[in-house]
Amino acid sequence: MLRIATQKCCDQLPSRFLPFLSTKSGAAVATRRHQSTDDKVEVFVNDKPVYVKPGSTVLQACEIAGIQIPRFCYHDRLSVAGNCRMCLVEIEKSPKPQASCAMPVMKGMRIKPDSDVSKKAREGVMEFLLANHPLDCPICDQGGECDLQDQSMMFGSDRSRFLEHKRAVEDKNIGPLIKTIMTRCIQCTRCVRFADEVAGVSDLGTTGRGNDMQIGTYVEKMFKSEMSGNVIDICPVGALTSKPYAFTARPWETRKTETVDVMDAVGSNIVVSTRAGDVLRIIPRLHEDINEEWISDKTRFAYDGLKRQRLTQPMLRNKQGQLVTCLWEDALPFVAEKLSTTEGSKVAGIVGGFADAESLICLKDLLNHVDSEGLCTEELFITDGAGTDLRSNYLLNTTIAGVEEADLVLLIGTNPRFEAPLFNARLRKSWIHNELEVALVGSKVDLTYSYEHLGDSTTTLKQIADGTHPFSKRLKDAKNPMVVVGSEVFSREDAFGVHAAVSAIAQNATVTSQTNRGDGGADWKVLNILHKVASQVAALDLGYKPGVDHIRKNPPSLLFILGADGGAVTREDLPKDCCVVYIGSHGDVSAPFADVILPGAAYTEKPGTYVNTEGRAQQTQAAVSPPGSAREDWKIIRALSEISGMTLPYDDLEGVRSRMSEVSPNLTRYDAVESANYFKQAAELAKLAKPQLVSKPLQSSQLSLADFYMTDSISRASKTMAKCVKAANEGLTPDL
Amino acid sequence: MGSFLKLLHRQFVVPWQEVVKTIRHNGASDGGYFPVLRGFFVQWARFNEPKHGKLVGTDELGNKYYENNRYFVARNRWVDYNKETWNQMWDYNASQVTPEWHRWLHYMTDDPPTKVPPTSRPFLIKHKRNLTGTKDCYVPYSTTRPKIESWKP
Amino acid sequence: MLASAKQMLSVLVRQNVRSIHKSAAVSSGAIFNHTDTPENNANTPFDFTPENYKRIDAIMANYPEGHKVAAVMPILDVAQRQHGWLPISAMNKVASVLEVPPMRVYEVATFYTMYNRNPVGKYHLQLCTTTPCMLCGSDAILKTIQDKLGIKVGETTKDKMFTLMEVECLGACVNAPMIQINDFYYEDLKPSDMEEILDDLKAGRTPRAGPRSGRFACEPLGGLTSLTETPTGPGFGVRDDL
Repeated sequence: MLRIATQKCCDQLPSRFLPFLSTKSGAAVATRRHQSTDDKVEVFVNDKPVYVKPGSTVLQACEIAGIQIPRFCYHDRLSVAGNCRMCLVEIEKSPKPQASCAMPVMKGMRIKPDSDVSKKAREGVMEFLLANHPLDCPICDQGGECDLQDQSMMFGSDRSRFLEHKRAVEDKNIGPLIKTIMTRCIQCTRCVRFADEVAGVSDLGTTGRGNDMQIGTYVEKMFKSEMSGNVIDICPVGALTSKPYAFTARPWETRKTETVDVMDAVGSNIVVSTRAGDVLRIIPRLHEDINEEWISDKTRFAYDGLKRQRLTQPMLRNKQGQLVTCLWEDALPFVAEKLSTTEGSKVAGIVGGFADAESLICLKDLLNHVDSEGLCTEELFITDGAGTDLRSNYLLNTTIAGVEEADLVLLIGTNPRFEAPLFNARLRKSWIHNELEVALVGSKVDLTYSYEHLGDSTTTLKQIADGTHPFSKRLKDAKNPMVVVGSEVFSREDAFGVHAAVSAIAQNATVTSQTNRGDGGADWKVLNILHKVASQVAALDLGYKPGVDHIRKNPPSLLFILGADGGAVTREDLPKDCCVVYIGSHGDVSAPFADVILPGAAYTEKPGTYVNTEGRAQQTQAAVSPPGSAREDWKIIRALSEISGMTLPYDDLEGVRSRMSEVSPNLTRYDAVESANYFKQAAELAKLAKPQLVSKPLQSSQLSLADFYMTDSISRASKTMAKCVKAANEGLTPDL
Repeated sequence: MGSFLKLLHRQFVVPWQEVVKTIRHNGASDGGYFPVLRGFFVQWARFNEPKHGKLVGTDELGNKYYENNRYFVARNRWVDYNKETWNQMWDYNASQVTPEWHRWLHYMTDDPPTKVPPTSRPFLIKHKRNLTGTKDCYVPYSTTRPKIESWKP
Repeated sequence: MLASAKQMLSVLVRQNVRSIHKSAAVSSGAIFNHTDTPENNANTPFDFTPENYKRIDAIMANYPEGHKVAAVMPILDVAQRQHGWLPISAMNKVASVLEVPPMRVYEVATFYTMYNRNPVGKYHLQLCTTTPCMLCGSDAILKTIQDKLGIKVGETTKDKMFTLMEVECLGACVNAPMIQINDFYYEDLKPSDMEEILDDLKAGRTPRAGPRSGRFACEPLGGLTSLTETPTGPGFGVRDDL
């Protein structure tokens, strides 16, 4: 079925042609559309009967039987290449061993993965692979997590018969992130297929032939992808390794902490490797519903920003107007005194993109205790109409995995490739395998897949909502449409107008799609908001006001800034006598104008709750302790409350979390997506408030790859990200 | 009979002679009240054992080296530290002994540097006492960069 | 003792025998990375002529919609014929014509040895030096060319007229030794033939392609030894009553 699908989409658009996908991919690519489970084929693995879906491969059948077949080129999420030959198994009545990754099962097939023929075949293949592989494991960064190393221990011979010289291949310079040692390459082409299929940047390929074949870019250029780091993980040998991590540590020396990324609102699952309180690297963790097994380059490589520009000591501004380090015992009473002497209406707080739900609730409780209502998020959203009252108004309701069921996506004012790379990867996956159609209203950007550009004017939106635009027809015919609005449109003055128009489009599409599917009330949600920062959904769940308008209108005399470094409020916006208290991890945009700095913890240093753009609550774990005198943010606020005599009624993490679940129960239901479902009401409410649209074009700020790398306080502090920006802007320099 | 008298002399006269010699030997040289007795008690407190002996020599720091072979080996040579440490009473340290006297004091040789002066070599540096515990002591510092770079306002 | 000495000796000999079999990694000598040079870089001007665009359209029409990339080889050939060799800009142009990433074109162009990714002279002399040709005297032909043109294998003459290459078997062993000059085979060569061919080429004449020995194609040198009689007509050897 999928083969036909691929064929069909190839027929429609020439640019969709992917050489590796042409015929073999159907069986291997896991998609959410699968056939019914009843009609299964019986095959025998080591004479044990196994029932598998027709069209699965011999390798998958063996896996179901509990037998791991060694492989190099085969990868679950990539098309089948079948060129490493490591997965050869004996199949009865077959004259030669077969490559199990590319061999579909047939009824009654007898597979013998443990027979002498299979073993000998593996040993032979391994011997050939090692014939040209350098014996530099002691200086290879892959050592300890190398497929070739492991499999040669498991399946290889104990000696080689090759005395010939080994082949040597020139190393390639493909950017500041990926280090290449091409002599180690075994030409599995996983990286080539990843670049083609997942990243959508076909920069990698195989050049030459025979013994001289090599993987590379042919011309020297950067591998310009926002997901390029994943080739490090999929490379089964040490040919592609991480440049920033080079020669840093062995995998068995490091402590791994399973946590969640906060560099974007997707909430990718990650593993943080640490040694002696030092974050050494970040690698992805499998989560089928969010990031599968990929992460973006910012997630993977911005970790060196956690070690620079850190706030490690509390600071107070002295009489000369300079920030000088002090003790917690000096800083906290100073703030407590201000807090207890300032009138409640003159106290306000702004929270930034990295704030966890724990510190959000603490700050909210503290400020509410002094009768302040000035709790704002730095990231903007709408306040008119249903505003943030209805949760469905601000979530990616379809969910990220839901993209695979969609058949038409309308993107509005967003560039998902750089705002949420993993969401974009899902769109691309669906575009390849499920014939997903994409249309975009906004800046014309490269999304790695073809889409229909509907211009960037707001009138287009209006027309689509009215049904006068040609696209409305397609939206009407769609069975599972999605409308995705980027959070950047909410910084426009007509944000509410755009949101209302989008809600109307989505509401219309919801109704028509129900009829198209013929299932009436099925639970398919059309309206999606794609947030850019990790804290926004939790903040809105907890009742923060989106945007800093409140603060501009009511100038505070005591302002708490909880890691807000987006520059929404500057010193010029505040009254002269306003005391600014900065709680956060990095000295970036806001810390320089603060009067008091209370050093907080970054996301790798605290157990915190973050809600991703789908509304999925996830926890980070503390991989290392906060540097210097820095403390977890919620503890700072809790201590402050005690000193100012308004002790918050919880003093441990469980207490904070039970308070969180009082306010918003979904915040502690980890890894569950609470569905929200008041689209109709929201759309109705929006109409009541009379939305207006202005003619300013819908544009996104991240247009090219260089705009992707440095967007927040952590990535701005990262040298690696700075190198990436340089390389993306100016091209490669030899020393990178 | 003669031997009995000798024994008596050894048992009852010599000790008192020693006490008198010791008191005389240890007399404080700084004047003040009862310098003789005071010096004796200070010496007692410092050495646990007031001794008297022949001054063998003085090093450039002013430490005085004595020898009295009446005492058994390992107690027959000793150092009386210089005036400064005398004033500070307890602040003395084996590393204040200069290297050339160290040899003699530790029985590496029987020839004190006063008798056999040490060969002077161009590479020899001036002896310095161990400064541990003083304000001039060596404080080790890390040569690696800090893992976390703090923000400087 | 003698036995152990013998054993030691045999070990030595065996090791030596093994090391004789050691061979250097056989490499085509081609480089599969692009390095910008003054004559070969992304800014080298290249565009197809209008006639060639017509040819390209005709070639692309052979392939169904969505499979235009299949035309990459003939179109690369068109580019090479137009430009004489394939600069990187030509490969990029082919990629843009086919609407595929340039890497896909590089992969094909580096795989096949007949795409010249480095400049070659007007006449590309590809002399076969594989065993049958070598046995029939290709070494003498090689020497003739080298002496006459003053170039070594892999070099181009100063006037950019001739490039000399040694190639592996071109499948004309019957007519060994042979040389391929651009699209034509010159076979059954003697050094004098080679000189004549080169003289002709230098003078701008087109030498006659094919065997120089006077025989037709790859017929036996001394004339036919079988199938010499007139072919029998239809009905030969068939029963009369049929």
